[in-house]
Amino acid sequence: MKLFARIITASAVAALTLFTGCSEDAPSDLPKPGLGGLTINKYVAVGNSLAAGYQSSGLYKSAQMYSYPNLLAGQLKLAGAGLGTFEQPYWPDPGNPDPKTGKAARYVIISLADPNNPVIGPKGETVTAMAPENAATLMRPYDNLGLPGAPLAGFMDTVGTYQGGFGPAIVRGAAGLPKSVFRSVVALQPQLVTFWLGNNDVLGYATTGGTSPSAPTNLSIFQALYTQALDTLKKALPNAKVAVATVPDVRTVPFFTTIGPKVGAKLAANGGLSLYYQKSGETGMGTGTTKFSGGSGDPLICLTGSAYAGLIGTPTGKFYKDNGFPALPAGIDTTKPFGVHPQNPWPNALTLDSAEQAIAGLAVTNFNAAIKTIAASYGAAVVDVNAVFTDIHKNGVLISGVKYTTAYITGGLFSLDGVHPSNRGAGVVANEFIKSINAKFGTTLTGVDVASLPALDIPLSKYMASGTGIPKVAPARWDSFLGLWQ
Amino acid sequence: MEVTLKTHLYRSIAMVIIALMALQLTNAGGFQLNEHGSRAMAQGGAWAARAYDGSAIFFNPAGLGFQNHGSLYLGTTIIAPGVSFYGPTNQGQSGKTEMVSQVFTPINVYATYPLMEGLTVGLGINNPYGLGTEWDDNWTGRYITQKIDLKSFFFTPTVGYKVSDNLAIGANVSFVTGDVTLSRMVSPGDAKVELELSGTGFGFGGGVIFKATDELSIGASYRSSVKIDAEGTAAFTPSSALFPAGDAAASLELPSTAFIGVAYKVMPGLELEADYQYIGWESYKELKIDFKANNSSSVSPKNYENTFIIRVGGEYTMDEYQFRAGYLYDANPVPDHYVEPLLPDSDRNGFNVGLGYKLSETMTLDLSYLLLKFDERTVTGTEVQFDGTYQSTAHLFGINFGYQF
Repeated sequence: MKLFARIITASAVAALTLFTGCSEDAPSDLPKPGLGGLTINKYVAVGNSLAAGYQSSGLYKSAQMYSYPNLLAGQLKLAGAGLGTFEQPYWPDPGNPDPKTGKAARYVIISLADPNNPVIGPKGETVTAMAPENAATLMRPYDNLGLPGAPLAGFMDTVGTYQGGFGPAIVRGAAGLPKSVFRSVVALQPQLVTFWLGNNDVLGYATTGGTSPSAPTNLSIFQALYTQALDTLKKALPNAKVAVATVPDVRTVPFFTTIGPKVGAKLAANGGLSLYYQKSGETGMGTGTTKFSGGSGDPLICLTGSAYAGLIGTPTGKFYKDNGFPALPAGIDTTKPFGVHPQNPWPNALTLDSAEQAIAGLAVTNFNAAIKTIAASYGAAVVDVNAVFTDIHKNGVLISGVKYTTAYITGGLFSLDGVHPSNRGAGVVANEFIKSINAKFGTTLTGVDVASLPALDIPLSKYMASGTGIPKVAPARWDSFLGLWQ
Repeated sequence: MEVTLKTHLYRSIAMVIIALMALQLTNAGGFQLNEHGSRAMAQGGAWAARAYDGSAIFFNPAGLGFQNHGSLYLGTTIIAPGVSFYGPTNQGQSGKTEMVSQVFTPINVYATYPLMEGLTVGLGINNPYGLGTEWDDNWTGRYITQKIDLKSFFFTPTVGYKVSDNLAIGANVSFVTGDVTLSRMVSPGDAKVELELSGTGFGFGGGVIFKATDELSIGASYRSSVKIDAEGTAAFTPSSALFPAGDAAASLELPSTAFIGVAYKVMPGLELEADYQYIGWESYKELKIDFKANNSSSVSPKNYENTFIIRVGGEYTMDEYQFRAGYLYDANPVPDHYVEPLLPDSDRNGFNVGLGYKLSETMTLDLSYLLLKFDERTVTGTEVQFDGTYQSTAHLFGINFGYQF
């Protein structure tokens, strides 16, 4: 038995040795964050609502934390950038007030009393702050200069005409800070600037069904403004690296793609009726008809039409009452069934018809061509967000086992207003910026782990994903959102 | 005295079996398990040409033909796997996530009885397929997997027949039960899905051992694939009409396997064996789960490839001791594109040692240890878009108790 005991002991010792000898080193070929020799102690984001982290029709801290500039700043710090605090104009939850109601503007899923038709919109949350939390104490420009609603012209604007409704709260020219975004950037002396403007030069046109404004920004003006922007940046900050981004095709976002197919399904179920709608410029009788058969001639129905989609087929003048028409426009007869009769057609303001789509599409194509050409001549990196989102619109994107799409709510990438990215959508955008910056400037920034960002808050227990359900946002509730572009 | 001892022994054995079954009910181990007897395990699992003990029911049923005595052989393997994941690199991440530590204890129980000279019957109960991985509930791969537990029980009545002094054949059938529980998160809205499925299946096998000379023995065996049609439920938390909660079903084909081995008595007391094991993993093309609530299916392509294991080992007998050692090389069946944290496999080198001890004329104790070193595996462009590097190791401890009558 002695030998046996000895063998057991020896085996135990051998096993223990093997155990302790087994801890492996980390693999050597893993991505390591780095700046590729650059020194980056200041990063500034120039942009609009997309940069601001505006979500679900509101500006509020719990969404702003996941703005793509803030996510990018986090990855820059991981790579060794000495940014300190990346200052953003955090608006304490529940965020900014709707100017008309004084209550929080942001949307939530309000009611699922009819789970097939979720009601979405502001739910009357009491606003806790009338300005960003550190607007009065931070005596320098914000590092995130995303101005919700600002068009390209907002960059050089010194009087606030093009700075959007949030300009005074974010640029704070009245408080003695630089009066323009451009001057603010120069004051901050960044080594890296992300510049993503231009979306609002077509988005305001599109989200109002081509009515307000009645055309996208003129191309030659766009080219001149873009050239001026990059040129002045180059002259003021000759050593700063600049990354710009293309404008996504508005036709890929859920604001335009959600309601039409659902209306089509409803009409098909009702004996294959056609939708009668007002074409571009029409105010009376509607001459457009569609069965939403999927052809390129189909109109896109704005998410703002969600409140009226359920009324199709009934004699109603609700749209005209809601929108303060003093009298019915000539040619309109609201005793006729709404949306299925030429004399009570689906309104132009809720429709992007094929002509308007062509105008918006051409503007996007031309803007993006201009962005790429001008960026190239100033040595800026180009993030082709349009290409990325067009691909996601077509194919979806699989990230860590989840298939994300551009579908409203269930797609996971867009917030409840159907235009602005969700936290994870912002993560996808941030990663595209990182890829382009790495490729252009030789940095090795690592990406954002999209799955680690909070998912869209959906009251799942009540939500129905029926094929015919039409999400509903009460019409007045879009005022704040559409007001972005007024 | 003799009677008392036997009664005591039987009672002890019964208790051990019950305890082992209870252990197994809470755990399961790697998708295919090849440790089904400590004596074989200590020799790298190279056992198909000899199959001297009850584990012949697994390795080669022909082995029973040469066993002209009754026996009980029962034991367990304590499996402690460890996996570290670095990634997901396609999301720019390089952080390390460790799989939650678990210990698995597949059992093996074999009873054999000689009906007459040259004809021996037996029954085996073991767990040839099992899988268990668990990651932190909140980890970044939670939409791919949080936890999976797959276990199978094979009940295998076997007959072995000695055709002549140097040739034996054997055959068996297996009645199989399989259970799988699986949990992960689903999008949109962050809900957790938990699946519980169970089912039964049927398989068969056969083998032959030919003693070419007094020193040289050749064995071959085959076990069919087993198709398990499992049914159960899918539960979603929170529940939502977005998700197909309720009855669910899946079909899983456990792969066929075959051994061919050559054993040689080098000198008195020393036997060596080398085996080639083939596994028909091609049967695992996809994991398709059908949800009856909305007639939908979730299909995860797997596209495993047929693969093999090389096994070499031997034992040296000295008085009441047997010293054993072995080595195995296990080529993994998972193409790079399909590697995922659900089953982060890679090629394995296994180093085996063990000891047999004769407690009495009729009783034996076998101990074994296997260190499984998985090759570090880095994958990119994976099916689930979850790339990175896996480092895995497993420690396996086997213990078996044998009784001959």
